[in-house]
Amino acid sequence: MSVIAVARLEARRLFVRPLAWVLGALTLAELAWRFVLLLGAFLANQIRLAAVAGGPGYTDIVAVPTLSSLLTSAAMPFGVLEMALVIVPLLTMSCIAGERSQGTLPLLFGAGLPAWQIVLGKYLALLGWLVLWLALAIAMPLSLAHGIHMDTGKFAAATLGMLLALATLAAIGVACSSFASHPAIAAVASLMIGLMLIGVNLGAQLAGVSNGVINWLALGSHLETLLRGLVSSADIAWFVLVSAFALALAIRRLAADKERG
Amino acid sequence: MTAPTVVLQLDTISRHRAGRATVSDLSLTVESGQVLGLLGINGAGKSTTLSMIAGALRPDKGRIVLAGEDFLEQPELARRVIGWLPERAPLWHELTVKEHLEAHARLRGLAGATLRQARDRTLERLELGSLGRRIAGVLSQGQRQRLGLACALIHQPPLLVLDEPGNALDPVQVAALRTLIRELASQGTAVILSTHLLTEVTAVCDRVAILHEGRLRHDAPLAGTDHQALEHLFFDIALRGAQESQAA
Repeated sequence: MSVIAVARLEARRLFVRPLAWVLGALTLAELAWRFVLLLGAFLANQIRLAAVAGGPGYTDIVAVPTLSSLLTSAAMPFGVLEMALVIVPLLTMSCIAGERSQGTLPLLFGAGLPAWQIVLGKYLALLGWLVLWLALAIAMPLSLAHGIHMDTGKFAAATLGMLLALATLAAIGVACSSFASHPAIAAVASLMIGLMLIGVNLGAQLAGVSNGVINWLALGSHLETLLRGLVSSADIAWFVLVSAFALALAIRRLAADKERG
Repeated sequence: MTAPTVVLQLDTISRHRAGRATVSDLSLTVESGQVLGLLGINGAGKSTTLSMIAGALRPDKGRIVLAGEDFLEQPELARRVIGWLPERAPLWHELTVKEHLEAHARLRGLAGATLRQARDRTLERLELGSLGRRIAGVLSQGQRQRLGLACALIHQPPLLVLDEPGNALDPVQVAALRTLIRELASQGTAVILSTHLLTEVTAVCDRVAILHEGRLRHDAPLAGTDHQALEHLFFDIALRGAQESQAA
């Protein structure tokens, strides 16, 4: 009940701030433009592609690349994942650091809420916004699904991957916000950790190493499998583990706030 | 009129910060219907004490008994037992007055029709009805203070903890605040009022506790003590405390 009360409070604060609306509107506009360009490229090559047996279709050329370009080698940058690397830190930066700098954090403690309820409530509210944002983004490729052949299983796996990636980035953002004294510091830290998780294995890949700890640490390794339509419990477990670890750190830090004052 | 019951009992609580005791071995008892004035110069440990009572800070040692239960073991007691107005009334700038009250009511476990009734009753009681749709960020300091007080009162707690509630209020609002505190006390609410204004204490309190450098130097009923006598006592404690610090 208290978790829901915190989530409602955070969601309300998120929806009345112009930042969330501006970020949502601008990123969806960019994604729409990207979708139109990808669709144009697909239509231009449709006849040629149809001649290739087992060649890429709408799902491979338009739907999945709308979600991410980094991992599907699409020519145009900034899919949902690339946008999320920037907007998630901006959305999460104030959730705890903002309360701290405004002096409202003690109000939540004073309402008898333990740290885990505060962190979980805020996380759920942010996740709600991101799910809505992702739903609007995937509505673009889905809008043509009735008139085109779409590999729904592959697209569902890719969407699941994006959802897990967003949940992980949000958890990291909440953790950074719980440690930072100022929202801007939280945003920068969260952005850098996100970029690091994406690019941690670039060196290994360039050296031709496709296994090992470095590749396991990289968000991209786990997301790529899902974007290719393969749902593996090991990849899902990675996202769940990283999210749980980040949220546990946030809870620990917030509980220490109450102890230390 | 029911017999007064002990709402809050502080048992030798202490809190240290940066190796220095901000509150040291403080013991106090507050009964229902009682208004306790917590006096002290700046840095005496008043706000730290109130934060510990409200559950926002944990004492390093000691025990807090709230409504007969161990508060440190059950911090969720704060939800229904305590209403807290911190110093400078922190608010969420982007939310309206009504949204503040609704959020606080939900955090205290109220929902549905009960929540709406509590919201409307509190808006009326604190004369905030005309400001209901205004966002907190544009309120004057006095209005913010009244909203903070409204948030503390929304769930009708048996213990009200007020940290400098008269700050930024005009004389008319101060008089209304005093009337409200006395009214709440007559209904059985225990009130702890932290202030450095002696007039505030003599006007509304039944008892006064004086803190100096985190230690309780005086705790007695106020009956028969006029403003001048309290002023004399307060300065005497502050002066003596300063001399003791210098000697140490």
